[in-house]
Order: sequence, then structure tokens, then C-alpha cells
Amino acid sequence: MTTSDLCLQETRPLLLRRAPLVFALLGCLSLVLMLLNVGIGSVPFSPAEIWQALGQTSEASTTGFIIWNIRIPRAIAAVFGGAYLAASGLLLQIYFKNPIVGPYILGISSGATLMVSFVMLTSVTVGWTLFTPFISTLAAFAGAYGVMLIVLAIANRVKGGVTLLIVGLMMGYLCGAVSAILTAFAEKDKIKGFVLWQLGSFSGFKWDEIWLLLAAGGAILVLLYLQSKPLNAFLLGEEYAASMGVDIRRFRFLILLCACALAGMVTSMAGPVAFIGMAVPHMARLSFGTSDNRILIPGACLMGGLVASLCDLIARTVMAPVELPLSAITAFFGAPIVISLLLKRRVKL
Amino acid sequence: MNTIARQPIIEVRDLCVGYKNRSVLRDLSFTCRSGEFISLLGPNGAGKTTLLRTLSRHLPPQAGDIRVQGRPLEQLSAMELARIMAVVLTEKIAPPLFTVFEFVAIGRYPHTDSLGRLAPKDRVAVTSALAAVHALDLADRPFANLSDGERQKVLMARALAQEPQILLLDEPTIHLDLKHRVEVMAILRDLCRSKGITVIASLHDVDVAAKVSDRVALIRDGGIMAWGPPETVLGGQAVTTLYEFDKAEFNRHLGGIELKSGGNRGRAFVVGGMGSGALVYRLLAKKDFAIATGVVHSNDLDCFVARSLGAECVAVGPMEKINGAALEQARMLLADCDLVVDSGFPVGPVNEANLALLQTALDCGKPMLCLRDGLPPGLAANGTHRPMFCADAGRLIENLEALVVPIHTQEV
Repeated sequence: MTTSDLCLQETRPLLLRRAPLVFALLGCLSLVLMLLNVGIGSVPFSPAEIWQALGQTSEASTTGFIIWNIRIPRAIAAVFGGAYLAASGLLLQIYFKNPIVGPYILGISSGATLMVSFVMLTSVTVGWTLFTPFISTLAAFAGAYGVMLIVLAIANRVKGGVTLLIVGLMMGYLCGAVSAILTAFAEKDKIKGFVLWQLGSFSGFKWDEIWLLLAAGGAILVLLYLQSKPLNAFLLGEEYAASMGVDIRRFRFLILLCACALAGMVTSMAGPVAFIGMAVPHMARLSFGTSDNRILIPGACLMGGLVASLCDLIARTVMAPVELPLSAITAFFGAPIVISLLLKRRVKL
Repeated sequence: MNTIARQPIIEVRDLCVGYKNRSVLRDLSFTCRSGEFISLLGPNGAGKTTLLRTLSRHLPPQAGDIRVQGRPLEQLSAMELARIMAVVLTEKIAPPLFTVFEFVAIGRYPHTDSLGRLAPKDRVAVTSALAAVHALDLADRPFANLSDGERQKVLMARALAQEPQILLLDEPTIHLDLKHRVEVMAILRDLCRSKGITVIASLHDVDVAAKVSDRVALIRDGGIMAWGPPETVLGGQAVTTLYEFDKAEFNRHLGGIELKSGGNRGRAFVVGGMGSGALVYRLLAKKDFAIATGVVHSNDLDCFVARSLGAECVAVGPMEKINGAALEQARMLLADCDLVVDSGFPVGPVNEANLALLQTALDCGKPMLCLRDGLPPGLAANGTHRPMFCADAGRLIENLEALVVPIHTQEV
């Protein structure tokens, strides 16, 4: 027994060594992309100017203002927005044991959109300005959770991966329909803001939004990481997880709460962003070569931040000065990935 | 382990199990002791899985109580229960990108720290769980690429990694090939013997269950029809009732199931005995003959097989010399038959009378198949009618095929 045990211990680290390597690589790439996101923009700056601006406050010069109040918030928002969407997608894929789900596909983003459209297009919240931007975050969270509950109720009645996707799509259409009706009645200037928001973008983040994003999201991610053990058990299905000592009811509630909170928060600030939540967990799984959530939770977050930063960079630069909608770019890279996964039978519906 | 007095580990009293508005099994009471192998037998849909799910607390009981190690099941925390009881379910799971070792390590859940990190003792436990199911060589293989049999063993290893005292398995041998079926049962039996684990498994193979179980529960019609050691409970009649056998019978002594003949191709009389007839009876039953046989001894293998196949069997007591009455009865049966088969029985002092039976058959000119090279000394063929000598079972089958058709058409 002991000899074979020793053999196994010797072979383990080989597998473990892959993770730090990939982490380092992804980390470096993310950092480079963040720097690029800060450095590149419609107003060209030399590296020296940027370096100088970084040492000053935002009021000191136009350069400082652009760097500190536009580019850096945007770069941070892209990294964390992407990370949270990826984490949310990872949770949903584990929860539904379905590899093709994500916050967007399941209609969670649509639910958030719906509630945000209430806030943005109607006058319900006039006078609550004190709470902005938190009001739209809370609304998005409520919308995300509402849709999630409906999808869950239906998913419990009808089994099957494809049904779940169709239910999600239908919820998306329904929410879209209500948003469209609200748009028809809304004032013109409000519509423009809403339409732009709906296309998805990491632009226009204010610092207080960033702090909220970092604090609330960070807390949820820490909580999730602490749950990686039951999440791993959950990969074997609910019944096995329960038989190993997971308190299933509490745990299910916790996963969904976290998934909706993360997706709702990002959606409220950046608009509905497609595919990152669905495709990134797969990219993480394949590049880390594991389903172990202790590696995948940070891994998917890092990968999500990287991908979102890249997409944002592309959206801003390829057709500059015109900025492309973020969801268009994420779809361009996400859809082929999902299709190729299906074709290679890496995932099964 | 065997020297320790066996403690009751699960006590079930007046238990009713079922789903929300549908009761499946009622008023179950039984006690399982540590180190026992308990098989749940019964037809599909009888409630074996429902009972297992209730014992593993996946399903709340409708009434009654279950005590595990003397404590009410519902009072155990999820973690406490996980350290006492592990399950192997039929549900197919294929989590991607897990090696077998990592998969089995998930079973350490109730023993690891809050992040699920493996301490050296956990690695030892995982390794010994893999060793217990003879799957150490699979440790580095991806779980998703295993064959059904290998996967079943690894699922058992995962359950063992929990270091349970009770192992519940739902149809552990279903979909497995014969090699893995035998291996899985042997592993389970070893777990009972060497680790003192109580195994409760729903099984389909009555014959296997009879050979490995300490106790069996026959589950049918909303309750436990019988509970006890297979040696007392699993009689032919009980199994026939349990599965509503029509054309089959389980024989405790043979430890297997015999498929009865439809009897649509005429009647064959087999002169057998001393174990020579068993194969012939089965062959004739398979070829759809009605069977009569004699004269055999009641402790003869032939007698057990013939009776299980539903043959008319003339028998005398063990070791008894075959007497005139039995011989006469056999002659009458033989007279009604379309065909006589001589099984090639060895002749000795107690069954010399069977030679007379063969002579009768020769005399009345019945078609006769003889599993010998020539007639035994003292017998003579009658005129032109000669028996067909068959050197082996293959020749016997060929001759049967050639011979029988006209007889069958005559009958109709």
C-alpha cells in the first residue's frame, strides 16, 4: 500500500504543475492587455505622457483626466466584469449539469435588462437619485434572480438540457418584449442611453461603481472559492453530493444567489454581455485540464478578465473612432468556440 | 472481525416508503448487522430502489423509523451520515477532466478540510479504496474514458473512500459483462468479510444473490415477502412467486434457474440417472420437448434438474435399488412417448433395472437415441430397428433435428 501510495504522490505534482504555469501566463497576458487598454484610445498619448499622468491626480491635466477617469476605470471594469460573468457561467454550468448554459443564455441577463429598463426608461425611480448607481444594480439583481427562479421552476418540471436552453431563450424573448414596449413609451433622450447600454460596453464606469464592483464582487468570489469543495462534490450530481455530506438545499440556494448577483451586477453596469459566461469556463477547463473548482474558480475569473479586456480593446480600436458594441465582439469569438466544442464532442447536451 | 459480536447497524421498524402521494412499500421491519451482505431481490418496479433511497435519506420515510448505529436516521447530520454510509447509484455520471484518482478523492469529502485538500492520510485512503476494488492501475486514467465495468469499480472505490460502515448499492452489476459482474460481487463479499462493512445491494441475479448474501429480502406487492438467509428463504416456490415465473424455476440445490420446455415437439423419455441426464434434459427442454424420465434416485442431480424443468420423473429413494413398482411406472410413461433417449448412464447394482427399461424401448420400436458407442452388454436390438448411437452432445443434437419433425407433424 505504502509503496504504491508513494508512486502516486510522485506523479501528482506533474498535474499540479500545469496550473501555476497557466495562471502565470494568463496573469501576464491580462496585465499586458490592461496596460494596452490604458495606453490605447481615441486620443493618442505617448508612454511618457501616460507615465507622467499616472503620477498625478485626475484634475492636474487633460491627460490625467482621461487616464484616471475614463481609461483606468474602463480597464478595471473590463477585467472584473469579464471575471464575474465567467464565474457566474461556471456556477450555472455546474448547477444545471449542462455545459452550454451561461447567464445570457438562461435569460438572467435579460431579466436584469428588463429591470434596468424600468429604472432607465420610466420615472418610477425619480427622486431616488441618492441611490444611483446602486438602484440600477439592485434592480438588475432583482431581475436576474426573478428570471432565475422562473427558469428553475420550469427546469424542475421538465428534464433535459435542450429544454432548459429553450426555456432560457423564451425568457429572453419575453423580457425583451417588455423592454421593447417600455421603449415605445419612453422619452427620446432616455431611449438613446438605454439602447447604448443594451449593446453592452465597459465605458462610462464611475469610480464609485468600480468600488462597488470590486467590493461586492470580490466578497462573492471569496465566498465561492470557499465553496469549491461542495462544488466539486456537486459535479457528481446532487444525490452523490448529498450522500457525501453536502447540505444540498442551502448549497443550491447559495450557488444561484452568487451566480445571479455576479451576473446581475455586471449587467446593470455594462449592459448584457453575451458568451463570456458560457464560453470562458470551457476555455478555462481545457487550458487548465481539470474540473477541480479550486483551480477553475480563479482560473475562469482570470480567463474571463483576459477575454473581456481583449474584446473591449478590439471593440474600441478596430473601427476607431467608431466604437463597436461589446456583445458583437464577444459573440464573434464565443459562438465559434461553443460550436467547435459541440463538434469535437467535448461537451454533450 | 468475525470474533466480534455483530452489532445491529441498521434497525428498521414499521417503515413505509414511497413518493409524495404514492406509497410503494409498507410496514417494513428488519435489522441489518455489521459485516452482513444483504440483497434486495424483486421484480422491476417492486420498490428496491425506493427502499435504498429511503435508507440513504435521499427520500424521507412516509412512516416508521430507521435507526443507524442506534440513532434515528433523521437526527444524524449530513457529515455524520456520510462517514457511516456511502452509496453507489445507477445514475450515469461522467464529470469531465477527472482522473480516476481525483474522482475517488472526491469521496474523501466528509474527512477533508474546508477546501477539500488531501492530507497524506487521505491519499492513503484513496489508494487503499482503489486497491480494494482492484483498480490501482486505473488511477491515472481519465474517468470519462473508462468502460462500464471499470467505471463501476471506480464508483465503488469512491464510496469506499468515505470509509463507510454501510455501503448501499443500486443494481451494482447491471450493464456489466460477466467478468466484471463476478468481480464486483467478489469485491463486495470481501468488503463484508475483511472490513466488516454492511453491504445492502439490490440485485437481479437470484443465483448470484443466493451464493453471496447473508440475508435476502424478497420484495413484492408493497412489502417484504420474505426476509432471512437465502438458504431458508430462497426456495424454488418463493422465487417463482417473487418473479411470477411461468416457464422457469429456481432450484436452490442447483443454485440456478432452469427454463422449462413448452413441450410442443412431442414427448421424449430419457433413461438417465447418476448425473448423466442433466445435460440431456436441458437440451430437450431447449428444443421444446415434453420430458419424462426414470428411473432416477431422488438425491441424483438428474432428479433435481428434471423436476426444475417440470419433467415427469420417476424416482426412488437415495441409494435404493430400483424396484418393480418404479420400473412399471416408468414403462407406462415410456409407452406414451414419441422418442427415447439413453443418457449413457453408468450401470451399477442399484440401477440395473434401467437396462430393462432400455430393452423395453428397443422392443416396442420407439425411435431411440443412445449416448454410447454401442448397446450395453445384455441388450439386443429388435429386428431392423436400431438405436442411433451418438458419440457426443453434438451428434445428439444433429440426430434430434433430423428425427423429430415427422413426429411433430403426426401429433398435430
